[in-house]
Amino acid sequence: MDLLLQFGHGMMEHCRTLLASWSGGTAILSPRDLTPEQLTRLADELRRRCAASVLLDPQFFLPHSDHERLTSHDYWPTNYATGTFWSGSELDAMLHALDDLNLTLHTTAVILPGLLASTIDDDWLNLQAQVAARARAMLPGRQLLATVALRADALRITSQVEELLEASEEWPVDGIYLIAEHPNAGYIVEDPNWLANKLDIVAHFRLAGQRVVVGYCTHQMLLLAAAGAREFAAGTWMNVRSFPPDKFSAALEEEIRQRATWYFCPQSLSEYKVPFLDIAWRQNLLDRMRPDRRLGSSYADTLFDGAQPSTVDFAEQSAFRHYLHSLRSLAGEARRSSFADTLAAHLQMIDEAEHVCERLSLGGVTGQLRDFGRAIDANRAALAVLERTRGPVLQRRWAEL
Amino acid sequence: MTVPVGPPPDWFAAHFPQLAQVIQIGAGGQKLVYSAVEATRGSVVLKLLRPPVDKEEARREILAVQTVASAHVPVIYQYGVAPSEWGDVFWIIEQLIPGETLRQIVAAGALPPTDILRLARDISEPLLAAETCNIVHRDVKPDNIMRSQDGTFWLLAFGLARHLGLSSLTATALPFGKLTPGYAPPEQFRNHKKQIDARSDLFALGVTLYEAATGVNPFRAGARDPLEMLKRVEKEPLPRLTLELTPAKEFEDLVAAMTQRRREHRPRTAREVVEWIADICRRQGI
Repeated sequence: MDLLLQFGHGMMEHCRTLLASWSGGTAILSPRDLTPEQLTRLADELRRRCAASVLLDPQFFLPHSDHERLTSHDYWPTNYATGTFWSGSELDAMLHALDDLNLTLHTTAVILPGLLASTIDDDWLNLQAQVAARARAMLPGRQLLATVALRADALRITSQVEELLEASEEWPVDGIYLIAEHPNAGYIVEDPNWLANKLDIVAHFRLAGQRVVVGYCTHQMLLLAAAGAREFAAGTWMNVRSFPPDKFSAALEEEIRQRATWYFCPQSLSEYKVPFLDIAWRQNLLDRMRPDRRLGSSYADTLFDGAQPSTVDFAEQSAFRHYLHSLRSLAGEARRSSFADTLAAHLQMIDEAEHVCERLSLGGVTGQLRDFGRAIDANRAALAVLERTRGPVLQRRWAEL
Repeated sequence: MTVPVGPPPDWFAAHFPQLAQVIQIGAGGQKLVYSAVEATRGSVVLKLLRPPVDKEEARREILAVQTVASAHVPVIYQYGVAPSEWGDVFWIIEQLIPGETLRQIVAAGALPPTDILRLARDISEPLLAAETCNIVHRDVKPDNIMRSQDGTFWLLAFGLARHLGLSSLTATALPFGKLTPGYAPPEQFRNHKKQIDARSDLFALGVTLYEAATGVNPFRAGARDPLEMLKRVEKEPLPRLTLELTPAKEFEDLVAAMTQRRREHRPRTAREVVEWIADICRRQGI
């Protein structure tokens, strides 16, 4: 499974550095965080200097948005009226403008505009179908990805997900860009049904032979590999690892309220604030948190040089790069040669994470709201549902996915 | 049970002079079934549909069989309408398959593994043919499957077949569609017409394979009434088979996939199932 970079606030240099060090990859660019000129310049730079590719997320989740930068882009309609926009010439104009921008940026596929669904109902499904049909007619030959943007409750309610899967069989697209708000605006998801339904959607589209790009992910979404996912995206701050819809409607510039530095421990799949690393150091547990060399991240090496962690130079930049580099390596190992092996590998990984979390917790070292111990049962439950409902078909068709 | 009395011998002689040795072999509802001998084709089946008969439905059945044209579906030779003491009788002359129904076979116990695989292979073939021409059988079950004397399985009774390209003959407002409880999938008994496709037949075939392999249909066994069967289909997943027919448990996987409650969790097409079964049979040397 490939890790894509989900562009967010302050990520230009991270994108350049990481994609260059990876000799390629993909960034999903964010019009909310980049001016039209920056978009063009960054896409060009990533393509030429880093051998990377880009996708453009049009972020049309909340069309009444008054976010200044987002609405400054040419494709954003000047006047949006719910009743007429989707059936009139305005949709065509937007699709034309988006196509132009995608061509300028040399994107590998066109992510179509899609509204945020609070409820998956006929109205939303009809708009999705309408956008897909118009785009297919207007942009022949382009790879089209339908945006499936869901509020937490829409993804949690299984009957609504069933409606989505039924209706989407008619969409004339090549895949989907799936983004979903986390329940209770949390970071780690503890709702097994939300996870099970996300796995179900991914498996459904993959088995239909479609491309699936899952946006706004944390490392918890490594489990998507079991559903046949090939591409998921994460970024630096929490608001590009989970999908907070409100940030697309705010008129004000982003405020990062909690600027704590978190260290990602790959073997516990948890993140820890530096003061808790100090506790691990005192309790002689820090060495257990050292990342495995095979993951190839040296961004956090300084934490393990023997000094008290809070006294060494480990700041946001290193923390983000360590997280994304490690996550990319874990993602690269997540998919195995069969569904059964992939599932077994993930279960083994979370078993080990559980063990490490417990051991660290006994020493007073906890990831608090980013402790993966909170998610383990939910991950296991969701995977059990996937195995029962989709397992045989995934096992049979794994090589095609 | 009282077997409905059919027309007298001279009625057959008058309307079917080409048939000899006409013997009643079955009856049910409005249908009377006879075996007979025809000079050119040998043994045949004569079916009479007594009034009140829905002629459009009967024509759809004939059209379905002729369109599907599968080597595992008896051939319809002739059909028509003949006057009788009950009014106009719709008749069909078709290929006779001497043998037993799967229902009769299962009543004596589960089938051996190789027969189950043959059953899966033989019946998935007409379902693929039906899928190719946009037809859904809608009534796959042991009663509608015959095993001929050479061990080949045949799919019968296209009376509930639905041509997805033709207008439906079942009222959309009906709470339940046409079905046999315990074999029909949820989308069929909930009469969600747009959701009925080849995957509905795959569900019924999966349940039939399970029953053939174990001798029991858990959706029906001990159920008080059809409603309980429907509820079981909707709420209780079929237990996983533990026959270990193949080293990788592929057959059990196949049945588990075919009998998923939600159609999007089943194999997407009959072709996928045919290929899956072919792979299993090949590995088993069948």
